[in-house]
Amino acid sequence: MKLNLFRAPESDHGHKAPLDAPGEGSPAMAVPKASHRGGGPVGPTKIEARDVSVFYGAKQALHEVTLDIPDKTVTALIGPSGCGKSTFLRTMNRMNDTIPGCKVTGRIEMDGEDINDRSVDPVLLRARVGMVFQKPNPFPKTIYENVAYGPRIHGLAASKSELDGVVEASLKRAGLWEEVADRLHSPGTGLSGGQQQRLVIARAIAVEPEVILMDEPCSALDPIATAKIEELIDELRERYCIVIVTHSMAQAARVSQRTAFFHLGRLVETGDTEEIFTNPRERRTLDYITGRFG
Amino acid sequence: MTETRVTSEMRAARLRAGLKRRYAREGRFRLYGLLAIGLAVGFLLLLLGRIIEQGHTAFYTHSVTVPVYMDPARVDRAYPQGTNFELLVAEQQLARMGIADDAAGTKATALRSLFSSELKFAAAARIQSNPELIGQTVPITAPVSDDADLYFKHEISRDTPADQRRLSDEQIGWLDRMKASGQVKAHFNSGLFTKGDSTEPELAGVLGAVVGSALMLLVTALIAIPLGVGAALYLEEFAPRGRITDLIEVNINNLAAVPSIIYGLLGLALFINWMHLPRASPLVGGLVLALMALPTIIIATRSSLKAVPPSIREAALAMGASKTQTVFQHTLPLAMPGVMTGAIISMAHALGETAPLLLIGMVSFIPGIPSAIGEPSGALPSLVYIWENASERAFHERTAAAILVLLAFMIVMNAAAIFLRRRFERRW
Repeated sequence: MKLNLFRAPESDHGHKAPLDAPGEGSPAMAVPKASHRGGGPVGPTKIEARDVSVFYGAKQALHEVTLDIPDKTVTALIGPSGCGKSTFLRTMNRMNDTIPGCKVTGRIEMDGEDINDRSVDPVLLRARVGMVFQKPNPFPKTIYENVAYGPRIHGLAASKSELDGVVEASLKRAGLWEEVADRLHSPGTGLSGGQQQRLVIARAIAVEPEVILMDEPCSALDPIATAKIEELIDELRERYCIVIVTHSMAQAARVSQRTAFFHLGRLVETGDTEEIFTNPRERRTLDYITGRFG
Repeated sequence: MTETRVTSEMRAARLRAGLKRRYAREGRFRLYGLLAIGLAVGFLLLLLGRIIEQGHTAFYTHSVTVPVYMDPARVDRAYPQGTNFELLVAEQQLARMGIADDAAGTKATALRSLFSSELKFAAAARIQSNPELIGQTVPITAPVSDDADLYFKHEISRDTPADQRRLSDEQIGWLDRMKASGQVKAHFNSGLFTKGDSTEPELAGVLGAVVGSALMLLVTALIAIPLGVGAALYLEEFAPRGRITDLIEVNINNLAAVPSIIYGLLGLALFINWMHLPRASPLVGGLVLALMALPTIIIATRSSLKAVPPSIREAALAMGASKTQTVFQHTLPLAMPGVMTGAIISMAHALGETAPLLLIGMVSFIPGIPSAIGEPSGALPSLVYIWENASERAFHERTAAAILVLLAFMIVMNAAAIFLRRRFERRW
């Protein structure tokens, strides 16, 4: 069965009303309200996952997930620990290839091209699909070197001045330029946790990827740093297809337009974030987002 | 089931008792630690103190300066080396001291044995460079013999019965007279550091062994470090996990525990008998030591590669770095301090290794100073072994001195390696 889970993009931008006035007894009472950032137009489908299963040795971690991920949109993957959302995220840039004994079946298409095809080089794929991890992991090099690393290994900048431009633009887009412009050549590991995470995002966007995968990018950060990252994610949405795994329901509601709920290795429900949080179809989704388990 | 009621006072008492026990345990453990460290430092100081006590006298020596009348009747202009300078000098010295010799020349022979054979070479060299000196009186300086040196260092004493010491009362009298006349001078034993091995203790030096050891370590380092690090990188980062890699891992661990003499046998069979590489050369020694050092380097490198946080590897891979780029741009640089530590330990180990050298002929008397890795040469530990077994008493202090030189070599090497490691160290 092919699920077309995403409806056509909405042209209407004034979508606050249903959220601001949830009905009596609605689940939205129990969850944080989606902010003004939560909505927006949903782009054309960027990634199509069809019956994707992942096995770690004999253990099946993901069961036949079929999901469409739209472009220029933030898609949140939510669910309790061990539900397979990170595993699914990692299939999209083939990071699972690096884990011995891991097998991926099914089909994942990006712009209609099967990313697991033999002709697709995972190195090139990862240049198109950037990733941000849970724990900020800048290289133990300077801030400049961190951001310049991607363009350098992919040979994207022809000259030093061009590279300088890419570094500056990436840091500006990641909202870090003001804070680090005067110390580009000090170590990236000397920044605060939130700054490190933005540095890592700058590093990812320096190669102009099409998709950015984020695996719980704020779980190691304080609320202020988290707010900055969320703001950044919302800005990045204009240019990139963003998939974010999060444990925070509030965060999913705040930053995403689409939400997919995973449970026990299966995709339970997916839809517009507003709808998932206000009017989920599945009982399990309701239980999870209202905090009855998780 | 009986119900036990635990009051809060009881709980507090139990906690207190337990706390006391815990602190006592911690105190005991600290004490054991201090005792262990104290014991280790004590033994180290004892060992070092003993070696220094025995060896410090080897760092100075005595030379005698004698005016030599280059008798034209006895010194051949064309072949000055043929002159028996020692006897000539002894006779002249006897005459100067106003001592009449018997017909057989026993006194001259006895006096002559107080000079080192270096005297002859020094005198011959002077004549060779300037034959005009024949017929003139030339002051010649040369070391005294080992026994005379020991007497000046108070290691041979007049109080010992004459038949139990190597110098007769008469010889001791001459030495005292020469010393009193200012002919004998104590000075730094530079020959110890500028000469190769010799059968005569007063002429023996460690330079040949130091150069041999250095060349050998160079060969070892050039072979074992790249090979070991490469093997570890492949096994840790590239090789598919499986039964074969497990087998290799187990065998590498076993190889690290193989006695070094076995490696010597292997080296003898492989490098000398089969490949016909020059026997007793730093090349063969270095190859054998490289075989020995490999497992240690591989194990140390693998464990430091394992210690690199996976997040760095993931970051690089997710940026689209290839496996090789990830390994060489991120994992290996971060593992470098550990790799260096492993290399230092195995090199230090290789420097002190003696048993394999025994089998490839490096524990033999080699007086020259090697200038290439294919030339026969000694090594510091084998020099220690040879000198310790020498019958001349003067070699004993030199054995201790050679040990000190070996230790100094090791300290210099380790200091250099630690300096390098500091430069490689990076935080993450």
